[in-house]
Amino acid sequence: MKLKAIIAAAALAAPLFAHAASIELLNVSYDPTRELYKEINAKFAEQWKAKNGDTVTIKQSHGGSGKQARAIIDGLEADVATLALAGDTDSVAKNAKLIPADWQKRLPNNSSPYTSTIVFLVRKGNPKKIKDWNDLVKPGVSVITPNPKTSGGARWNYLAAYAYALKNNGNSDAKAQEFVKGLFKNAPVLDTGARGSTTTFVQRGIGDVLLAWENEAFLSIEEFGTDKFEIVVPSLSILAEPAVTVVDKIADKHGTRKVAEAYLNFLYTDEGQQIIGKNHYRPSNPAVAAKFASKYPKLNLVTIADFGGWAKAQQVHFADGGIFDQIYQK
Amino acid sequence: MKKGIKQAGVATLAVIASTGIARAADAPSVEELDQRIKVLERQLELQAEDAATKAKDATTASASDKGFSLKKGDYELKIKGLVQADLRYFLDDFNPTRKAAPVESDRFNDTILFRRIRPTFEGSLGKLVGFRLTPEFAGDSATIVDAYLDAKFDPAYTLRVGKVKGPVALERLQSGGSTNFIERGFPTELAPNRDLGVQLQGDLFNSTLNYTLGYYNGTADGRDATSSDGDSRKEIGARLFAEPFKNSPGILQGLGFGIGSTFGSKEQGEANSGVAATTNNFLPRYRTPGQNVFFQYNTARAAAAAAIGHTGIYADGDHVRISPQVYWYYNNLGLIAEYIRSEQEVSAGVLAAGAAASTRATSTVTESFTNDAWQVSASWVITGEDASFRGVAKPKNAYTPGGPGWGAFELAARYGELDIDDDVFNAIPGTAGGAANSFANPNSAASEAKSYGVGVNWYLTSNLKTQLNYTNTSFEGGAAGGQDREDEKTIFARFQVAF
Repeated sequence: MKLKAIIAAAALAAPLFAHAASIELLNVSYDPTRELYKEINAKFAEQWKAKNGDTVTIKQSHGGSGKQARAIIDGLEADVATLALAGDTDSVAKNAKLIPADWQKRLPNNSSPYTSTIVFLVRKGNPKKIKDWNDLVKPGVSVITPNPKTSGGARWNYLAAYAYALKNNGNSDAKAQEFVKGLFKNAPVLDTGARGSTTTFVQRGIGDVLLAWENEAFLSIEEFGTDKFEIVVPSLSILAEPAVTVVDKIADKHGTRKVAEAYLNFLYTDEGQQIIGKNHYRPSNPAVAAKFASKYPKLNLVTIADFGGWAKAQQVHFADGGIFDQIYQK
Repeated sequence: MKKGIKQAGVATLAVIASTGIARAADAPSVEELDQRIKVLERQLELQAEDAATKAKDATTASASDKGFSLKKGDYELKIKGLVQADLRYFLDDFNPTRKAAPVESDRFNDTILFRRIRPTFEGSLGKLVGFRLTPEFAGDSATIVDAYLDAKFDPAYTLRVGKVKGPVALERLQSGGSTNFIERGFPTELAPNRDLGVQLQGDLFNSTLNYTLGYYNGTADGRDATSSDGDSRKEIGARLFAEPFKNSPGILQGLGFGIGSTFGSKEQGEANSGVAATTNNFLPRYRTPGQNVFFQYNTARAAAAAAIGHTGIYADGDHVRISPQVYWYYNNLGLIAEYIRSEQEVSAGVLAAGAAASTRATSTVTESFTNDAWQVSASWVITGEDASFRGVAKPKNAYTPGGPGWGAFELAARYGELDIDDDVFNAIPGTAGGAANSFANPNSAASEAKSYGVGVNWYLTSNLKTQLNYTNTSFEGGAAGGQDREDEKTIFARFQVAF
């Protein structure tokens, strides 16, 4: 009789416990998105709690995008990956089989909830008179950029410079290679990620120009003041399209797929897009983007498609023995 | 001439001046130097970060007096070893069966043997999983001594599954390479040796309280569990051990005390007539510090048609052990004291008078017998190193051939007793009595043993230890006609390598 009573009580109490679920997600992202996802996470958790009653805790992991992809391949159990470039996420699909090869088709805009681009951050007054990419290869100019082998942002930097050189040299690959070789010759330090390069330039006072994510450049000025730095917009840059995905196998293993999908979908909501714009990224929703339009300069942008897509760009430029390895020698 | 000198001087000054100007033009500015320094500093910073990351990911191999290991992050394999070679002499001991009138030169029992040859493989697979495997190669065949897996949820609660030391007697739980004497004392004979089971263990309150709670197959006193449970009856084991001053330097810092216990039952079954005592896995055979059996139950009573029928003595009911224990280590002094009581129900099958010989009883006599043992053991490291439950960890001046160091020397003394329940020698009710019809034969099993020993331990290095012991054990009963057995006098020497 007693045992029956205990079982009945447990059965009655079970739904109460079922409503009090606590869910944890790990978002493995690239270097400069700390502030963005801190805000996104708080807002999403608040909404999820209100709608479903569950407590969602989203842990963040940040680093150079290439390094982060490697970490996931090596076993870092990311429920979602929000890396700097689709090529890094492709490598997760290819090498670890944790996500399907066509992962990018699952969310709008090739799974890119926002875009960004590469600009120059220089010291106040622009003492080296840096206006465009060709100024970066001049003797005596010190350029700060992360390492393209480990950083997604650095690969965007490299490709933007390469595109500029192609455009101004009759599409000569040889001259473009010579150009980026000269640029990296002027780079005294290669950090592993974009945030590290910002630290090198902004906090350690090294270099004349930082090749920066647009959002990172805005953030530096926001944090340190317009009296310290200014943004220089080059004549040509590249459309950076960081893409996001649920890491299927891990999310299924953790039983977090539903929350993980909702989390990424939240990035596309008006509220998510608003947070994205506020954090200096370019929202993919045109209506929200319009609200922030005045903040962003008009730019002549190439895209990764101009390089034949990430698979080809990775193979030609950044794979072991690729062009970057050939032109960059310490 | 003067004009020529003047012209040369002007020319020289012009050269010097132009050189100076050129040097000034080539020299880096203060800003450039500042940049160079900052770049170098940042590069060093990045190199340090990189090195730290690589160190975290790198597999490190290490070798030290504590053994060898391979480690990468939370994954580790340690290889350790313990080898003990003994020289064992029994004084005044001779083989009474060899000659009708043996003389002292007919020595008996003296031997050289490997007591332990035990490599140990232990380590961790991530933060959660730990393991240990220790085979034994001493003896005629290889066996497994320790084999267990740990689920290390927290220092306060680790789940251990496998073959482990039973959580009862204090000296039993001490490493075989760390004991004061070459063989453990009497309390170990009443405690479980190694058992198969699952146990929850952990350290609480800043490691001042250690607990173990386990569920085991159950063993006979002083024995290992067999590879499977012969009677399907289990034993619960529990131990609490407190070191309340462990974190407070002072005279009581090395004080530890506690209590260990097991309770359960054994159902050996009555059809055991003819089971030799030496192969009985349910009832104990108590040994002296010289490892000679001085007590065993009358397990192999042979059926005799003309006599009242019977079975051998067999384990048949509750078996409870309890052992209060204490140790205290202060500087170079050490003291271990423990007491243990083992109470076990045993039965004898009895046939009606005149019945045909059978291994099946028509009635059963069940008795509960209580055996006790205790010991006190003291040690003094005369070279000043700290004494500890793990022995002398490291001599201050390790022995080096031709060098000034002689290692550490430790003196040890021990006294202990093992007292058998006197009722065990009474006639089994319903039988004709006599030696053959008692639970233990008083003509071969002693009712009490008292032993003292002295020893010297020489720790040449942290890996090499030699021991020399003298023990004297006297008995009450245990010889023909109810006489006392001759004293057992031993001189044992040991050469031990441990890492």
